[in-house]
Amino acid sequence: MSGSSTILEDDSLLSRFDRYYFKFESLLNLIGGLVIFIIVLLAVANILGRKLLGIPVSGYIDWTEQSMVFFAFCGIAYCQRLGGHIRMDILVSKLRRRALWSFELVSTLIMLTITVLLIMGSFDHFLRAWTFGDSSLDIDLPIWPAKLVVPVMLTVLAIRFCINIWGYTRAIIEGGDTAIAVPLIEDARTQADNEAKTVSGASVDNEEIK
Amino acid sequence: MFVSLYENMMNVTPVDMGLWISGFMLVTVLIGVRVAFAAAIAGFLGLLWFFTAKLGFEKGFWVAVKMAGTVPHSKVSTSALSLIPVFILIGFLAYHAGLTRALFEAAKRWVAWLPGGMALATVFSTAGFAAVSGASVATSAVFARIAIPEMLRIGYDKRFAAGVVAASGTLASLIPPSAILVIYAIIVEQDVGSLLMAGFLPGAVSALIYASLVIGLAMRNPKLGPPVGGFTWAERFNVLPGTFPIFFVIGIIIFSVYGGWGTPTEAGALGAFVIFCIAVYKGMKWSTFRDALMEASKLTVMIFSIIWGVLLYVRFLGFADLPHAFSDWIAGIDQNPMITLIFILMGYAILGMFMDAIGMLLLTLPVVFPAVIALNGGPDVTAVDSAFGVSAVGCAIWFGIIVVKMAEFCLITPPIGLNCFVVAGVRPELSVQDVFRGVTPFFFADMITIGVLIAFPGIVLWLPGVIMGIV
Repeated sequence: MSGSSTILEDDSLLSRFDRYYFKFESLLNLIGGLVIFIIVLLAVANILGRKLLGIPVSGYIDWTEQSMVFFAFCGIAYCQRLGGHIRMDILVSKLRRRALWSFELVSTLIMLTITVLLIMGSFDHFLRAWTFGDSSLDIDLPIWPAKLVVPVMLTVLAIRFCINIWGYTRAIIEGGDTAIAVPLIEDARTQADNEAKTVSGASVDNEEIK
Repeated sequence: MFVSLYENMMNVTPVDMGLWISGFMLVTVLIGVRVAFAAAIAGFLGLLWFFTAKLGFEKGFWVAVKMAGTVPHSKVSTSALSLIPVFILIGFLAYHAGLTRALFEAAKRWVAWLPGGMALATVFSTAGFAAVSGASVATSAVFARIAIPEMLRIGYDKRFAAGVVAASGTLASLIPPSAILVIYAIIVEQDVGSLLMAGFLPGAVSALIYASLVIGLAMRNPKLGPPVGGFTWAERFNVLPGTFPIFFVIGIIIFSVYGGWGTPTEAGALGAFVIFCIAVYKGMKWSTFRDALMEASKLTVMIFSIIWGVLLYVRFLGFADLPHAFSDWIAGIDQNPMITLIFILMGYAILGMFMDAIGMLLLTLPVVFPAVIALNGGPDVTAVDSAFGVSAVGCAIWFGIIVVKMAEFCLITPPIGLNCFVVAGVRPELSVQDVFRGVTPFFFADMITIGVLIAFPGIVLWLPGVIMGIV
């Protein structure tokens, strides 16, 4: 399951930038969510149209396939901001202070590297579709917009990684117990608590035991 | 020195490249790189190494970049995968529409008169909720809030109550629609519909085993869970209409998928739409709906990121021929294939104690799955000639169900059995130790279930066999 970590805030430039950027990421993530809902409506229209009226939605598969990159990539930076991409933190969670921030910095640099490489590769992939005018099989939708989503969203993610790197570097210099604007590792109980909040929508325990 | 290292690296066989790169991936995962990106960078470096050895660094680098760059878009744009976000959305909407509570209330009025009746009601209503939702941790969190307070109120043992909820949450992974089975099907290139169908009977068997365990425990020690009587037949029938949407959605999904009426995505979408309408009717606000969308989107992104990350690694493995080499090695071991299979499953049990189920399966299946198929006798084997008495397709489905059950089993084992932490996290009066102690009987029940599934593949393969003719 994707969890949500605690992110500390203060009034430093880093933290302010982090919060503004998070608003932008949230908006993108909401777009991803709305696309999921649109897929639902489209599929309903398709199955009902086909069964009841004998008219399926024209190019249903094409539309679905082209829209998938939206919900697969729009929220990618949002998910990273909240520490939602799964990882194994059983070793790093044993570390404290500078040792911890250094490990986090190294793994963020690794993730930034692969993201930048993928931006290059996926942009090239888009460019070919754009130049040759690739289109989908059924109703000839142009494919380039969907292919462009990947490098654009990965760029949003790369900027998020840069914010994380900024946060970890600052934490290494300060050498403190906590860091600003990065997802913190939490013990399993806090993690579970956050997990529970996502399904209950409110604070975790508002039911009295009589 | 660097020159000779470079030359040595260029002379490595592809299989050795595969081993080095897989080792590298393991290290990056251990130091805390997020699984999706660890797999992706391992895949990229593997491609870089392979093509540099063939074409020189400069050309090799660009081939690797371009090849890697096609994976995220092309692997994600597969319409079968659209099932995942739809089912995730159903889970969140069903909760907000209050369907889970209605289900629990109905189960309570119908079975609470039995020994451990409320715990039974929990098992059955989780199974019902599982039939519309696909995520076990969320299921546990939901029922920890709904069922535990009621059980404590009527004097249930708190460890027993917590154990039931934590264990029942794992039912969601087998009872269709299960997100994790869809992911398995995509990775091993099997039909999504057959896998979903295959999960039904094992899921139902698990639920029944849990139910008998609850009754048995409560009969031996009535203090654990006293029966609750006093519901009239009128009360029992009155509560049923509230649960109709759930049965309606289950009906739609079964009817569409199994009856060939529509694709699994269409069936799920119809279910999601019905639940959405009910939620709107019950006064769902935009902010609640937005939260459901945000959560569904975030969970979807997380799952899809691992999918494309791992498929990038799989792309390299194809060149390195490592899965093939590993299968040859496994199939060549001179011992009973069943014992080898049990060793593999024990490996999963250990790994699952430290890793998230989805990440664990995605990282290991590209190598382990071909080996299991080879162990059974190869990709074209018939049931008669095979080692496990199942055809190649049957083996793919059977192994999928067992391995998923195994991964879920790890959700209730120490040290990081996530379901137990979730239950303890939601209920402040319970410590994690309480939950782990309460879940222990279910732990043994699960071991029996897994044993039964291994011994009788027919339980898994009967339904897909009847409906889709898989032998």
